[in-house]
Amino acid sequence: MGLNHETAPVEVREHFAVSEDQLGSQARKLTELTTIAEGVVISTCNRMEVYVAAEDRQMGLDVLRQHLSEGHDDEDMSHLYQKCGDDAKQHLFALVCGLDSMVLGETEIFGQVKHAYKQAFEAGATKGVLNRLFQKSFAVGKRIRTHTRIQMGATSVGNVAVDLAEKIFGKLNGSHVMIIGAGETSRLVAKSMISRGASQLTVTNRSIERARSLAEELNGEVVPFDSWEEALVKADVIVSSTGASEPVLHASQIEAVRRKRKFRPLFLIDIAVPRDIEAQAGDIEEVYLYDIDKLQQLASLAKESRAKQVTLCEQMIAEEISQTS
Amino acid sequence: MRASCPLGDTGEVLIFSAWSLTMFYMAVGSVYRLSLLGVFTAPLVCFLLSLALMPGLLDASPERKTVVDGWRESHAAFSVLAYGALGLAAVAGVMFIVLNRQLKDALMSTGLFANLPPARDLSKVVERLLLLGFALLTLGLVCGLVMEKTGAANKHLYVALGQWAAYAVLLILKWWRGMPPGKLAMAAVLLFVLSLMIFPLIN
Repeated sequence: MGLNHETAPVEVREHFAVSEDQLGSQARKLTELTTIAEGVVISTCNRMEVYVAAEDRQMGLDVLRQHLSEGHDDEDMSHLYQKCGDDAKQHLFALVCGLDSMVLGETEIFGQVKHAYKQAFEAGATKGVLNRLFQKSFAVGKRIRTHTRIQMGATSVGNVAVDLAEKIFGKLNGSHVMIIGAGETSRLVAKSMISRGASQLTVTNRSIERARSLAEELNGEVVPFDSWEEALVKADVIVSSTGASEPVLHASQIEAVRRKRKFRPLFLIDIAVPRDIEAQAGDIEEVYLYDIDKLQQLASLAKESRAKQVTLCEQMIAEEISQTS
Repeated sequence: MRASCPLGDTGEVLIFSAWSLTMFYMAVGSVYRLSLLGVFTAPLVCFLLSLALMPGLLDASPERKTVVDGWRESHAAFSVLAYGALGLAAVAGVMFIVLNRQLKDALMSTGLFANLPPARDLSKVVERLLLLGFALLTLGLVCGLVMEKTGAANKHLYVALGQWAAYAVLLILKWWRGMPPGKLAMAAVLLFVLSLMIFPLIN
C-alpha cells in the first residue's frame, strides 16, 4: 500500500513521509499489528510505500489502512493505492528497475529500496516471505539493468553536459570550469561538474554581486566581466548563460589563445538564448561546442530510448513473476 | 631462421610485428582500461598474420645461421618492436578520430560512443606510444648505424633515417608548440601507414 508522485501531490506525500532513520522502527511497528507478520517501509521524495506479509489478506489490508489513517484525513487516504499478490510483486520489481520513477530508469531508487529493506531486516521486521521477495527484486533489477538499455543516456541537460565532459576529459579531477553569467542553469551544471571532481571554478557576471554569491556557494573565484578573457587560457569547460543579445565569446578570442592553451581540448556549453558563443567556435579543432538545442535533443533521445525499453523490461518482469509463482 | 632473431624473411617480420603489436596492446590496454583498443587492434593483427601466410612469404624450414651479427639482430628486433608501439599509436589514433567526429557531431547515442574511452585518455595514449615507439626506433637506428652494411642495407638505412626524422619532427612540434589532439592522431596514422608502404618496397 502506498502513494507516489503520480497519485499524490507533494503536500500529501510529505504527510506520509518517513525519515530515513525511522524506516526500520516503522517497519517493526507494522509487525505488531494483528495478522501482519512482516513489513518494509520505503520512503523517498517521490513515494511512500509499505510492503507487508499478512496471514489473512483482507484483514491485513484493513488493519494496514487503519494504521496508515492515523493522523491523516480521508482526502489524504484517497491518494493511496493497494496491490496484492503478483500485482504487488510486479510493482516492486518495476520500482526497483526505475520503471515507476519520475525519471524513467533512474538508478537511485535501487539503492533506496535496498536501504529500506536493510533497515527493516535489521529491525527484525522481515522473515521468509519478504526476505525472498526483496532479494528476488534486487536480482531482477540487476538483470534488467544488465540486459536492457533502460538506464542508458542522460535525460537532463545538466547530466548530458557532465557526461559529455567526462567523455572528453575522463575524470574531471583538476578540471577548470568557467561560468559566464551566474544563472540557475549554469549553477546546476557547475554543481554537477564539481560533484564529479572539477576542482577549480571561475565565475564572471555583469553583476559582480551575483558572481560573488555563486562563487562563494561553489567555492570558486570571481573574475570581473570586462577581463574574463584572460581566464580563457586556463579553462577546460566554459558554461555560458548570459542574457546578452550578441555573442559574448567569439571564435577569434579562442583562436588568439590556442597556442597559450597548448591546444588543450575546450568544452563549450552554451545554454543561453540568444546564443552566447559564436557558432564558428565549434569549427576549431580542439573545441567541442554544444548549445541548448543540442543538449536538449540528446536528453530527449535518451528519454525516447528509455521509453522504448519499457515493454522489454515489463516482459522480463512478467517472466520472473511466472517463475516465482 | 634459427639461432637468430626470427626476422629472416617477410613472413617472419609480419608475424613478429603482430606479436609486438599484441604485446603493447596487452601492456597499454590494461593500464588505461582501453578494452576497446583490442577491437581496433585485432583487425590489424589479423591482417598482418594473414599476409604472413601468403605463399612465398614464410620459409617453412629456414636454414641455421652460422654467423650472427648482434648489432644486426638488435637493429631488426628494436625496429619491429618500434613498429608494434607505433602501430598501436596509429590504432589509438583511429579511435581518437572516430570519437572526435562523434563528439563534434553530437552522436552520443551509438554503442561505439558509449564504449570508447575518453578523448583526453586516448590522446595521451597516442602521445606516449609515439614516444615509446620513437625511443625503440632510435635504438634500432643506432644498432643499424653500427652493424656491417651492404649496398641494400644503406638504402634501407636512409629510409629508416627519414622515418625517424619524421617522427622526431612530430614529437618536437607537439612538445614545443603543442598540437591539436586530432592532428596528432592523424599524423600517427599517416606516418604508420606510410612506413608500412615504404619498407616492403625497398626490402
